This record gives sequence, C-alpha cells and structure tokens, in this order.
Amino acid sequence: MELKKLQQQWNSFPEISMEERPVLSSDLEKIVVKNPLSDAFYLRKKIVLRVALISILWLLNGWQLRLQWMTNGRDLPQLIALFGLLSYSAYFHIRLLFFADYPTLLSLPLVTFLGKLETILDKYILSFKIMSWTAGFYILAAIEYLIYRINTDTYDSLSRNDWYKWLILIFLSVSIDILLLNTLIPRYRKLLITVRKYKEGIHAKAQNK
Amino acid sequence: MNNSTKRSGFDTDLRSLLKHQHRRVYSICRFFTNNYKEHQRLFTDIIAAASQNIRTRRENSDKNILLLRACINMTALHSISQELAPDTDRTLQFKSPDFQKSISGFRETMGELSDYDKFLLFFNFENVATEEIAELTGITPQSRSAQRKKEAITSKKSFNFIPYIKEKLIWS
Repeated sequence: MELKKLQQQWNSFPEISMEERPVLSSDLEKIVVKNPLSDAFYLRKKIVLRVALISILWLLNGWQLRLQWMTNGRDLPQLIALFGLLSYSAYFHIRLLFFADYPTLLSLPLVTFLGKLETILDKYILSFKIMSWTAGFYILAAIEYLIYRINTDTYDSLSRNDWYKWLILIFLSVSIDILLLNTLIPRYRKLLITVRKYKEGIHAKAQNK
Repeated sequence: MNNSTKRSGFDTDLRSLLKHQHRRVYSICRFFTNNYKEHQRLFTDIIAAASQNIRTRRENSDKNILLLRACINMTALHSISQELAPDTDRTLQFKSPDFQKSISGFRETMGELSDYDKFLLFFNFENVATEEIAELTGITPQSRSAQRKKEAITSKKSFNFIPYIKEKLIWS
C-alpha cells in the first residue's frame, strides 16, 4: 500500500456528491435528537422496565411478608427468600443502569468503550439467571393457587411439605433458565462474543505496531 | 430566561460545530461503508453520537476529541453489526458515479486492512496529532505493557480466589 498514492486518491474525491452533500440546519435539528445506539446495544429501556417491575413486586412482596410475619404464616421462609432475591435483583439492575451510563458511553476512548460494552452485555446475560429464579417463585405461587382452586386437600398436603415446594421451585427455575438459554440469551451472547473478538483484534493490532 | 438563552446558544454552537466538522464524519464513512444507505445511516449515527457526547461533556473535555471519539466508536459498532450479518452484500454501490469511481480506486489501493489500521489512516488524513491518537483509542504504550504483564500473571496463576471475587464485585 502506497501512502502517497492513497493520499492522492483521497484528495481526488469529488467536493460535493450525492453521498457527501453539505448538511442543512433542518437535517441537523432532526439528527441531533436521535439516539445513536441501535436496539441491540441500547439496553437502557429494558433495564428501566425491569427495575420498575421489580420495584412493584418488591413492594407487594414486602406487604405480603409483613402479613405472614404477623400471622406466623406457612410461606414465611419462601417469602423471605423472594424478598432477598428481589432486593438483590433491584440492586443488580440499578447498578447496571448506573454503570452503563448511556449518555456518556460513546464519549469514552475506543478500547474503554468496547470494554464497557462487553461488561454491560455480560452482566445483562447474567441478569437472566436472576430473572429465571424470580419467575420460578411466581410460577410456583401460580401453581399453588391453581391447585388450591382445583383441590383443597392436595393444596394442604403441598403447603405442609416444604421440601416438595423447594424442589418444585428449583425445577421451575432451572427449566426457565434453560428455556432462556435457548431462546433470548443466544443473540446477546453472539453479540458479546463479537464485541470481545473485535476488542481483542484492536488490541492485537495495536500490540504489533 | 437565562437558562433558555444559554441552552439555545449552546445548541447553536453545537450545530455550527457539527456543520463545520461534518466532512470529518464523511471521511470516516469512506473507509467503512459499502453503499449509499449504509453511508447515510453511519453518517447520521455519528452526528447523533457526537451531539450526545458534546451535550453531556465535562467542562475540561475537548469538543473535537469528543467528535472523533464518536466517529471511531460508532464505526466500531457499525463493523460489529456487519460481522453479525455475514450475508450482507459487500459490493460497492454508490449513487453518484464520481463518488463510486473515487471510492472504488481508493479501496482497491487500500486493500484489506484491519479496522485499527483504517483508524490510523483516517487519523493521518485528518491530521490528528500522535498524542491525540492514544486519547482517542485508549491504547498507550504503557497500557500495552500493562496488558502483557496482566496476561503473564493470569497465565501463571490458573485460579486465584481473591481476584475472582474482585472480578465479580468490581465491574470494569
């Protein structure tokens, strides 16, 4: 590759073309308010939605926990575990949101930017595990409610056997986790691998220079 | 009233800066886009990113550095998106015949280059100072040696409990 020849060709580009036309103020006004990140990279909306949902569930769970505490109910250990999980989940998502700091993300130097993007995607993939455990608790509650409506004796037997409930909970959570691993997670994982490969490629090239 | 005046003044400044510097954005698009649609989309995304960077900037940061960072970061995302869609047509198809001719010749002479080399070439054409390149890419000679040192340490110790916990607690 000849730098001189390249420079000559660079200078020979037409001053004005359909591709490189002067920017109008009216166009700029529309562009400057646009979000530059595509849906694949911009997870803010999804995280905010999750934080809102978790907060509602956390409040409901807190209220239920208070009732069970006062009446010394049977579901107390389960509700305490769910309360802990929801609290951690809220902390994890809020932390991810603050860490990502989308408005300043694109102003970072390239390698730092790619590294941060990699961490965001990695933690977002990890958050699906928390979500599957949370979903496990709620699906178990739905199953319990269904059994209660169908057959009260079966419900009584199930609520007295804590071990069964915990085993069902583990089974449900692991199943949802596997389901997510095969449906939603692959596209984020693929994106994470591509970002990582790209960052490593930049590093390798820079090291050779 | 003061705030709105300040805000509109700031927006005017931003718009005039972008208007003044838009050729730089077109320049980086020449390296990475293959057709008119891609070219226009990347240009719009970079301008939007630059405006976001400048709006949220700290007092001491340089507007030109932020613009160039928007250029290379958005281009990196463009390249990553292209890698995710391997079936996309990569032939050069631009609307303007003059531009098509110039870009075909330029790409032919340039050959197959890595994105990092393209960035360096872009910095060279845009007369970016060598000290600024490290500020834009985040790769300094020190960080390179630190990276090698880190790799040597990780290869020596296969499992170390404390760094494992540290890695889980501190996101970087």
